[in-house]
Amino acid sequence: MSSESRVVRGRVGKERSLQRWAAENPLAVLAGVFVLLFLVTSAIQPGFFSVSGVRNTLLQAAPLGILAAAQTVLMLTGGIDLSVTMIATGAAYVAANQSPNGAAIAILMGLLVGLIVGSMNGVGVAIFRVNPLIMTLAMSSILLGLFTAWTQTVLAGSTQVAPFIRMLGGGSWMGSVPYSVVVWGGVAIALIWLLRRSGWGRLIYAIGDNETAARLAGVRVWQVRLSAYMLSGVLSAIAGILLAGRTGAVDLQLAGAFLLPSVAAAVIGGTSIFGGMGGYSGTILGALILSVLNSLLTFLNVGQAIQQMVYGSIVLALAWGYASLTRRS
Amino acid sequence: MAFSVAIRNPALRILFRNSWALGVWLLLGALLLWYSTLIPVFGPFQITSITKNSLPLVYLAIGQAIIVISGGIDLSLGALLLLSNVIAARFMAGQPLPTVVLVALGIIAGLALLNALVGFIITLSGVPDIVVTLATGYIWSGLALWILPSPGGGTAPEMRWLFTGSPSGVGGSYWPPLLMLLIPGALVAIWSRTTRVGLSLYAVGSNKTAAQLAGLDVRRAKIVAYGIGGAMAGLAGLAMVALTGTGDPRFAIGANATLNSVAAVVLGGVALTGGVGNVFGVVATGVTLIMLNPILIAMRVDSNNAQVIQGVLIAGVMMFGGLVAFLRERRS
Repeated sequence: MSSESRVVRGRVGKERSLQRWAAENPLAVLAGVFVLLFLVTSAIQPGFFSVSGVRNTLLQAAPLGILAAAQTVLMLTGGIDLSVTMIATGAAYVAANQSPNGAAIAILMGLLVGLIVGSMNGVGVAIFRVNPLIMTLAMSSILLGLFTAWTQTVLAGSTQVAPFIRMLGGGSWMGSVPYSVVVWGGVAIALIWLLRRSGWGRLIYAIGDNETAARLAGVRVWQVRLSAYMLSGVLSAIAGILLAGRTGAVDLQLAGAFLLPSVAAAVIGGTSIFGGMGGYSGTILGALILSVLNSLLTFLNVGQAIQQMVYGSIVLALAWGYASLTRRS
Repeated sequence: MAFSVAIRNPALRILFRNSWALGVWLLLGALLLWYSTLIPVFGPFQITSITKNSLPLVYLAIGQAIIVISGGIDLSLGALLLLSNVIAARFMAGQPLPTVVLVALGIIAGLALLNALVGFIITLSGVPDIVVTLATGYIWSGLALWILPSPGGGTAPEMRWLFTGSPSGVGGSYWPPLLMLLIPGALVAIWSRTTRVGLSLYAVGSNKTAAQLAGLDVRRAKIVAYGIGGAMAGLAGLAMVALTGTGDPRFAIGANATLNSVAAVVLGGVALTGGVGNVFGVVATGVTLIMLNPILIAMRVDSNNAQVIQGVLIAGVMMFGGLVAFLRERRS
């Protein structure tokens, strides 16, 4: 390849080097796609090119970005979590129910829901070696049944969240920086640090890349897996609480629409669904791209049918583009 | 599932190799028996009701099984079901029989081609199956919504008779739905285990590189598998329109159907890693998943609790399977 490219000169060579640059900097390409989509949206809706446009995009992207964070960590280990949206909804419901006891207790109880459900997923996947797709799918069904029944019994009562949670989900710091984006930023920094710099992060990549090799090297694979699912549960709960804060009230359809986008955001961001490759910075861009795309399609006012078709086509095109870029390198 | 023990007797070997599929059929038999003691009268009406209601899921699960065996997974099957359902509902209502038959055949062939194209895109792009089909799932359900913006439409009495056993969709004889359940299942199962192309799906699914080095056309295997998946999703949509009498383009129906098809496939003993399992078992688990509902209703379990129990059962069975595999590994 290298000797061949040395021979090629002129325009072809330039195209090759551009391609190679893109392959080496996929994040820059994703950022370019984001900027492009943002500009197109601004062209359609002139008011969008403003601080409030950026703010709206971020506000939309924050819960999706955090759900996609859960998905990213699990996909790095070679897993997936189809129960993230039900965990988010459940956590939001519990938080709303506990809101009369104060925001701190409400948030803690909500996070506890995430931790418990995440642990159960983790036990199934890590110890009993159930396929993650099936384990989390079953868990999602269990949660839907439980919470539908509980809304009439133990969770009957408040469906309004505490003012503090509402401020967290929908309010802004100094009128321009949404608090939910601050939370997302905190999650992002912590997660990127964990994945890149901590030993735990190395193990996540290691078991995703080659589980057998990791086990032979002395990694307690089941513990790493279990912790990843617990983290995923807590992250989903955070996203659910933010969503509840944004809407002010909870219902059982709160987070349902985010399931497929959460997987799509991680995939567009370059995290391999087979594990071991990718990272959270790409996922952030993926979540931003999907959010802008959503605004764009809403502004276009073309009806839900065309929206879904365009959404699917663009996700496919992005994934295809990403794959063909990185495969050549 | 894979066994390293060599068994000489061929009959025993076949039994042993298909032990999981055999197990789920026995489970289905036991459930049927149990169900018949739960309700006062168990007769043709119950058999009709169980078989016709399980048709959409069973078709979808057969398609999913073939795709999973070949090493892929198709998250767009539910959306293809929606597409088939709305096309049928929109173009069959009030039409003479020849048109209805043409529409039905057109749907099956069209969706087979469409999904074969998806398979081709997967081989061409190198993007994982799950991602491509996630995206195409959005496209198909958008298309379904575009064709039929709100629930409606209808179908011909003959179609309803074929899938439900009665021209009005109520009551009727049990043998049409039973045959429609068993014939496609048996055809696909036998095809996949005896023909050259069918066996190549197993080869590609269990080890793509080895299959390629052995001279198999990996691309063709994938395209064929997705084509069959599309055709089965088309059939599932037709069964749906025959069951309900209308078309319904709601996204959630498709998403649920997809997830249930994956659950049925895995419970039926097909490994998501590819190359393992067969279609026979999947037919039984598809029926079992649908049958849980009337059983739990007969036991007077509230529908929310029924959903919980269904989830617990799926997780429980898979945990049991994992435990068995683990113990066997330790012993050897």
